Amino acid sequence: MKKKTDPSGRGRHLLVIMIILCVGLMLATMTSKRVTPPVRKAAGVIVTPFQNGINEIGKWLTKQLTGFQDVMKLAEENKALREEINELTQKNNELIQNQAELSRLEELYQMDRTYSEYPKIAAEVISKDPGNWYSRFVVNRGTKDGVAVNMNVLGQGGLIGIVTEVGDHWASVRSLIDDESNISGMASNTSEPCVVTGNLLMMDSGKIDFKGLRDSDNEVTEGTSIVTSNISDKYLTGLLIGYVSEISLDSNNLTKSGTIIPAADFRNLREVLIITELKQTKES
Amino acid sequence: MKRKLIILLMLWICFLLQTTVFNMLDFLAATPNLLLILTVSIGFMQGKQEGLLTGFAAGLMIDLFYGDIFGFYALLYMLAGYFSGRFSQIYFDEDVKIPLMLTALCDLFLNTAIYFLRFLLRGRVHFFSYLSGVIFPEVVCTVLFTIVFYRIFYKVNHSLLEKEKRGRQSLWIKD
Repeated sequence: MKKKTDPSGRGRHLLVIMIILCVGLMLATMTSKRVTPPVRKAAGVIVTPFQNGINEIGKWLTKQLTGFQDVMKLAEENKALREEINELTQKNNELIQNQAELSRLEELYQMDRTYSEYPKIAAEVISKDPGNWYSRFVVNRGTKDGVAVNMNVLGQGGLIGIVTEVGDHWASVRSLIDDESNISGMASNTSEPCVVTGNLLMMDSGKIDFKGLRDSDNEVTEGTSIVTSNISDKYLTGLLIGYVSEISLDSNNLTKSGTIIPAADFRNLREVLIITELKQTKES
Repeated sequence: MKRKLIILLMLWICFLLQTTVFNMLDFLAATPNLLLILTVSIGFMQGKQEGLLTGFAAGLMIDLFYGDIFGFYALLYMLAGYFSGRFSQIYFDEDVKIPLMLTALCDLFLNTAIYFLRFLLRGRVHFFSYLSGVIFPEVVCTVLFTIVFYRIFYKVNHSLLEKEKRGRQSLWIKD
């Protein structure tokens, strides 16, 4: 067994030097935000293509696996789905009629700021945070595709999060269930603002917190949808966050707080949509 | 030199695996911390200095892509590497039991530090819920993965050491 003989003190000196280096780096990033982006951009060029590749392999594998699913099960499912199609076609016809009426009315009210009008691009999730404390992920679209910091990310029927950092061909996104995420939301029926925060401890139950909601007339109940508010400076107005699941009066007797079930499913995020439009603020 | 390059390569592979494949496995309760396993293994096999440098590189990788404060993870992983390096002169490195305990200890330390510095300061006070809900699953996962991965790292490291030794001898003979 060969052991390296470490001259006493040498390791310790190195330790002290490196600690000073780390603390220096930490202080540098805390005081100025300009240090890290160029370094991160350079590093992104080396790693993202590989993460992309691994992701492709994984997708191929899952495709193979699902191909082996039981044929009987599929046939059964097919039958059930056919019935559902019949039902849905009927409903769809009704909805088309309603839609026509709605668009007519919308035109009437000149409501041109609906959801579907924002320019969006699709992106794929290529990697996730290596630890278990945060819910952040990286997608394969960057500045070259028109993505910028603070752009909103949608997916599977609701708000997913916000772009926090961006490189040439990647962007990192903080999802709304992340513990450090704070979103200014509002109840869709009363337009009263509240603060929506992620909570790590409730992540397994698939819920997030909200607090500070004024609701003196008890109009917000379970199932009320919460959307991003008009006073938020980073989130576009009216994006669906989720539905109220529990609500209770705070001890101050003025505001209410509770939990929300997010509209988007965060369990298996694969594809997301990035809205390539930033909220208009005073500075921009 | 070649060995160091290969350690860097292993770090990189571990990082890629940890952020892609191991993150997507639903049956795991938590993502195992491969980078920590590598740091502890190298520290335990090669001593303080290499453990420290490996930890620094591993932490820096996380900082580059997922950290807010640059150098935060680098510092924590570096300390983990240095700590496990202290045991390299006391124990032989064929046995997997010591690295198992070391990864458990280091993972516990790492996550507790993250909790105290990043979560408690934001007013998340339920330490024991975080301990049982986040820290404990990760420690268990990481320890389980150490059983397999330590052997791999051990084999790689020792075959490289052998080559290095042989290279040195042949040079001696040539002279």
